[in-house]
Amino acid sequence: MAELKTNDRITLVGGGSVKIKKELGRGGQGIVYLVDMNGKDMALKWYLNAPDNYFYTNLNNNILNGAPSDAFLWPKALTERQCGSYGYVMDLRPKNYFEFGNFLMAKAKFASFDAMLNAAMKICNGFMMLHRFGYSYQDLNDGNFFIDPKTGDVLICDNDNVMPQGEKSGIMGKARYMAPEVVAGGIPDKYSDRYSLSVILFMLFYANHPLEGAKVVACPCMTEAYEKKFYGSEAVFIYNPNDKSNLPVRGIHQNVIRRWPVLPAVLRETFTREFSEEMLRNPQKRMIEQNWEKLIATLRDRLVICPNCKGETFIEEDKNTCMDCGKTIDITLKLKLGARTLYLTEGTNLYIDHDNMADVQVLRDASAGMLLLKNLSPDATWTAETPSGKLKAVAPGEMMPVKAGIKVSFNQSTKGEITDNH
Amino acid sequence: MSLLDETVEIPRRTMTLFFVIDTSGSMAGSKIGAVNDAVVNVLPMLEEISAENPDAEIKVAALEFSTTCNWLYSEPKPANEFVWQDVQASALTSLGAACKELASKLSRSGFMKAASGSFAPAIILLSDGAPTDDFESGLATLKQNNWFKAAIKVAIAIGDDADKDVLTQFTGTNEAVFTVHNIDALKQIIRVVAVTSSQIGSKSSTAGDTTKQEQVIAEVKSAVDNIGGAEVASAPASTASYDDWD
Ligand SMILES: Nc1ncnc2c1ncn2[C@@H]1O[C@H](COP(=O)(O)OP(=O)(O)OP(=O)(O)O)[C@@H](O)[C@H]1O
Ligand SMILES: [Mg+2]
Ligand SMILES: [Zn+2]
Repeated sequence: MAELKTNDRITLVGGGSVKIKKELGRGGQGIVYLVDMNGKDMALKWYLNAPDNYFYTNLNNNILNGAPSDAFLWPKALTERQCGSYGYVMDLRPKNYFEFGNFLMAKAKFASFDAMLNAAMKICNGFMMLHRFGYSYQDLNDGNFFIDPKTGDVLICDNDNVMPQGEKSGIMGKARYMAPEVVAGGIPDKYSDRYSLSVILFMLFYANHPLEGAKVVACPCMTEAYEKKFYGSEAVFIYNPNDKSNLPVRGIHQNVIRRWPVLPAVLRETFTREFSEEMLRNPQKRMIEQNWEKLIATLRDRLVICPNCKGETFIEEDKNTCMDCGKTIDITLKLKLGARTLYLTEGTNLYIDHDNMADVQVLRDASAGMLLLKNLSPDATWTAETPSGKLKAVAPGEMMPVKAGIKVSFNQSTKGEITDNH
Repeated sequence: MSLLDETVEIPRRTMTLFFVIDTSGSMAGSKIGAVNDAVVNVLPMLEEISAENPDAEIKVAALEFSTTCNWLYSEPKPANEFVWQDVQASALTSLGAACKELASKLSRSGFMKAASGSFAPAIILLSDGAPTDDFESGLATLKQNNWFKAAIKVAIAIGDDADKDVLTQFTGTNEAVFTVHNIDALKQIIRVVAVTSSQIGSKSSTAGDTTKQEQVIAEVKSAVDNIGGAEVASAPASTASYDDWD
């Protein structure tokens, strides 16, 4: 074991060094220190027992290749081997980010569904990029995500087990998040990452575990042998339509019981499929991140502000009552974007693309009794075409009226039309 | 109120950490003082582990045994509610009776009745001597108990007079018996064993087929290398099978 002390200097591969300021915390594999690197505060993860050469080389490769996306708190510099071990430097995590576990324990709460969807989108996008880079994450669990409850921005930590797809880091993962085939002894890969991702997303939306219902809670003592059954060979989704043995239990699985019927049907359908026996057993059939992104974009399109209670609610094909106040919401005015339908109510933010920046805000001009669209983009000027064929530019920060028949080009590729048809 | 405001804490299984402490006459003085000090200091750490652990709530139970045996509280308590009362040393070493007492509480009608279920408990036995009662029959009763079979069992032998065979029988393997030769090592190892056992269920594991007890032993071993005055024996670990739980 090689602990470091304040003012110790640790040299970096490729030159330079960091100076230890203080300990930030410790985990299973090592200690994280606050360090000074060229006058900037950074975090150093220092291994108590130096992992092998392969791990060191892999870490170095990951640093050279750079982060797959800005969602990752990616290793930035590798230390030379010294003091009996080594470590890597990464950015510090800002204070307003909370571990996902804090959300599960209701110590941190999303400020809005808007923020929750941002978090889901950022997580999916992060893993899409990671897999696109040819990596697998291997150890995806609730401890890896830090989320800003206000905005839903996400930082993905613990990126030291990230390996080229198909290669083995030695880590199996964490119980409750491991894919059934890994529980059964298989090697984690991008397909098992996708299973863990679906568990994380389920827990993000429903705040309970997808496989923990009556059957699992009835087990008095969760031993390794039972873990292998309930999360592996005999896993049953709590809302499996063909097997009701593991339904959530009132008084225990309160969140999912409350949210399952209220959140949109597409979400229920997706999870029911992703946790079906077929998907549990066939890793290659699991939904790819890109389709998760599409699903989240769909949910976003349906999220509106209720004009009555000003709370958020989801509009569905057959349902336009508010999930909070129960009042019917007027959804006559819509923006059609290809196959997508976005509902226009006062206060609603619209997301045109998949990044986590709202592009349009719906406002009301009280004196004219009319809704307006405000261009939230920092740089893109829209072009609006009126029903009579006039072209108008809507610069960033400017507004345009919501009138049926107006066509809007938000950018080169995205063109929409305001309608009041059903 | 909005749906998000209504969110409640996800149900957590309970992991009970049992301290089974020899308070016979030979423990008098600095040994018992060190035990008291170590446990008092480890409780806030357990509280923190529990507070940040979405998988398990950690509870603590403590059984002291001398001529008779006695639970410090009549039920397992969260670490932050567990106010340690210093135990006193006197008289005999009734480990057999302690085993029977432990077996009686390792059941759903005893200490293991958490509504959201439990994880296998962790049991830390501390002793500096040899049992003066019928240990064999006490242990035989305990070994029938499924909770005990599945438990993470670790023993701390305080000094060379501790009967390591007895501790090995209790833990099922001499690898889980850690010997300490000084007060500092005793304090450190209590901390390491308690903290490691409490964290084990919520960590990523590197190997598929090791038991939690084996994982704890491996971690404690690597920590012990750095504690002066602590040592560990080595031998293959036992495996257990579980079926019935009451
Ligand atoms: N980049 C960072 N900035 C600030 N604090 C950090 C950073 N990375 C880790 N920490 C803190 O340091 C502590 C240890 O982190 P670490 O990732 O080593 O442990 P862990 O996730 O608990 O366990 P494991 O080693 O199994 O991953 C944690 O409390 C964590 O919050
Ligand atoms: Mg970590
Ligand atoms: Zn409403």
